[in-house]
Amino acid sequence: MSVAALRVEGLCKRFGDTYALRGVTLEVRPREVVGLVGENGAGKSTLLKLLAGVTRPDGGTMMVRGSAVRWRKVRDAADAGIGIMFQESSLVPDITVAENVLLAHEGSAVRLGIYRWHELFARAKALLVKLGMTISPGADAHTLSFSERQLVEFAKALAVETRTCDAPILLLDEPTSALDERGVATVLQTIEELRTHASVVLVSHRLEEVRRVCDRIYVMKDGSCVGERDARTCTVEALQRLMIGHETGTDFPREAVRSQLAETVCLEVRQLSRRDKYVDVSLALRHGEVLGIAGATGSGCEELCRTLFGIVPPDSGTMLLDGRTVALRGPSDAVAQGIGYVPADRPREGIIGAMSVTENMTLAHLAQFCGRWGIDRRREREVAERWIERLRIVTPCATTRASDLSGGNQQKVALAKWLVGKPPRVLILDHPLRALDVVARRDILKTIRELACDGAGIVVVADALDELLAVSDTLIVMRDGRISARYSIAQDRPTRQTILEKMI
Amino acid sequence: MSPVGPINQQPDSDEHIAIGDRRHGLGTGLVSGMAPVAVLVTLALAISAFAPSFLSAYSLRVLAEESSVILLLAIGQTIVIIVGGIDLSMAALASLASVIIALLLPELGAGAVLGALCIATLIGALQGFVHVQAKIPSFIVTLAGLGMWSGIALSIANTTVPVAEHFEAVGWLDAQTWGVPHAFAFGMLTLGLFQIALVRLRLGRYLYAIGMAERVALLSGIRVWRIKTFAFAASGFCSGLAGLAMVARTSSGSPTIADSLLLPSIAAVLVGGTAITGGHGNLARTLLGVCIVAVMRVGVAVSGIAPAYEPIAYGALVVIAVAMTVDRRSIGIVK
Repeated sequence: MSVAALRVEGLCKRFGDTYALRGVTLEVRPREVVGLVGENGAGKSTLLKLLAGVTRPDGGTMMVRGSAVRWRKVRDAADAGIGIMFQESSLVPDITVAENVLLAHEGSAVRLGIYRWHELFARAKALLVKLGMTISPGADAHTLSFSERQLVEFAKALAVETRTCDAPILLLDEPTSALDERGVATVLQTIEELRTHASVVLVSHRLEEVRRVCDRIYVMKDGSCVGERDARTCTVEALQRLMIGHETGTDFPREAVRSQLAETVCLEVRQLSRRDKYVDVSLALRHGEVLGIAGATGSGCEELCRTLFGIVPPDSGTMLLDGRTVALRGPSDAVAQGIGYVPADRPREGIIGAMSVTENMTLAHLAQFCGRWGIDRRREREVAERWIERLRIVTPCATTRASDLSGGNQQKVALAKWLVGKPPRVLILDHPLRALDVVARRDILKTIRELACDGAGIVVVADALDELLAVSDTLIVMRDGRISARYSIAQDRPTRQTILEKMI
Repeated sequence: MSPVGPINQQPDSDEHIAIGDRRHGLGTGLVSGMAPVAVLVTLALAISAFAPSFLSAYSLRVLAEESSVILLLAIGQTIVIIVGGIDLSMAALASLASVIIALLLPELGAGAVLGALCIATLIGALQGFVHVQAKIPSFIVTLAGLGMWSGIALSIANTTVPVAEHFEAVGWLDAQTWGVPHAFAFGMLTLGLFQIALVRLRLGRYLYAIGMAERVALLSGIRVWRIKTFAFAASGFCSGLAGLAMVARTSSGSPTIADSLLLPSIAAVLVGGTAITGGHGNLARTLLGVCIVAVMRVGVAVSGIAPAYEPIAYGALVVIAVAMTVDRRSIGIVK
């Protein structure tokens, strides 16, 4: 058998104290298209970034065409013929399409540091035509639509072919997520053409597509490869089962499902839309209800949450709190209305690492801890200690810096921020259990249920269905910015399968 | 296939971990600890070895008098730096305030002082408002302010304006009680009040929170724009006070009177250990920094170096202080 184009063994990557990859082993043969599927957070994007030299692994080996490699920078990987198409936009908005496509691959199109525009445009044009694109290489990147940008990203990844005489290896992270059917067809056909001389790794949530275009499929879960399947013989259902895993369901014992909810609605939105994010979303949240929203990246559910908290205004639609129309001009308005928000990006948005646990907890309700002589630190500390005990936060003391806590305990602090004051009317949680261990998950799920029992309306966004099924009373599924299904957990009893079909 | 060694055995990845663990760059531990105190003591001892009269009551009094304007400027600068910005317009604004006071004193008396303080505060608030609402970096807004306020000062008074009447409205600052210059005591009082606000008030907590993590502050419902505007209003107010102290000391106002004090006042804040990246520091540190800068000035004089070379020392001081306090891990990209 010929030498693998790309082979990794035991690849590890750690972010802080959580492992994004725990020993991944896989190989890509010459002229093979390999699919990489898994739930969000399974480590697919991290793996691609390691392969392309964007980040460095903490352990394991990488081999390209039989020889061990260690990338110091993206350029090293590009020199070896590895091109990557990122999931997030990597285009520079204020330069032309051609410059973007050939960025760092200019080759002979730059002489003595000066662009030779004719050659640059001609080469970019050739790549764009390959993808069936008619846009001018001279157009500014920021004038493109979202899907056009995605195709330009693809062209940019293809440009690596011009750098090397070896067969290129292309890593594609969700190349079709923003495309309509025609765009998808073009991309898939291009991948077919690439098969004649290149190797491709394709990450996608669209399993049917992956199954059609790939030779083999690796399934990832929690940072490792849990299965390798032949694309011709496996089924989408089998892949989904592998992605979700069988054993996880028992992690979250469901407390008695309440079939009866209060009749009063605490939060309602009607026909909420925001361009490129979500369209025509209507939903009603009752007092004491936990509303789960399931959706993959790009489904718009995260943006919807940010709108509910007043961070990004909607383009149209209305929002009602306890029957009264409200227009939130910012998060401060939302907090004043009794809405709380636990963001997904904990280190950047959720907690202040350099502040103490107590100060983090009281930040949103500091007015309640102020007496005539300013902040009453003793009361502040007493309340914090009460919540530390109640949420079982593991910390040396209430004045420990928040960054010294583990991820799960930090998340509990971020949650406590909305509990130390008056109980919240509405609490919005964006991926509250992401990257947490089982104990922390259970504690947080329990707290969410308790809050609901006390009458708060709670919105939980997550991509892990087990968690959503365990905690929600009602479940909304979002796909491409629209609500694609609604379930009452008690009555409809949806299975993971049916939900997943509505998600992707 | 060629033999391969596991990646994690190579030295580079160890280094990576080491950087991650070193929480605050090379020396916050040093600077945040006793380093500024050590620097101050060393400087003072070194100078008194050369010039034994340095530690006499008289020379200390002169020192206090000399540094009171820098102290006032540094107080306002500290507030702005804690919230994550910088105010380059303070000295220009102080000069403008001195001109306004000198011009209006004959007619309005004490009213001139109040008016100048109000104008300086409003100008500071305006700069803060523009910085927040137009989302322009504060150093750009205040750099533009530097030009505008000194231009305005020059256009309303081409040259030094001596105070002819009603000097008593500012003169009290130039006197002393029990050997303590009033201007310095006044600066200390201002410093004390602001320090209490930083520690005790909600406002203070918010200033730190915004300086440390503005997004978290915003998502906790803090009205970030208000707090930031307040910080710049406070620095405007302090600029006004500095202008007032200048008029009291020189019995005149001048459109360039405080210009040379911008760099030393920023140096004082930073050498005290307040981080330029925001969120860390306090006014006690700034007092320490002001003392270091003041002692350095004396040192320059004692050692016979021409005062014209002083700014070189301040420039070096700023760079060294920032190099030692900056948290390299959290910045990544520096513009």
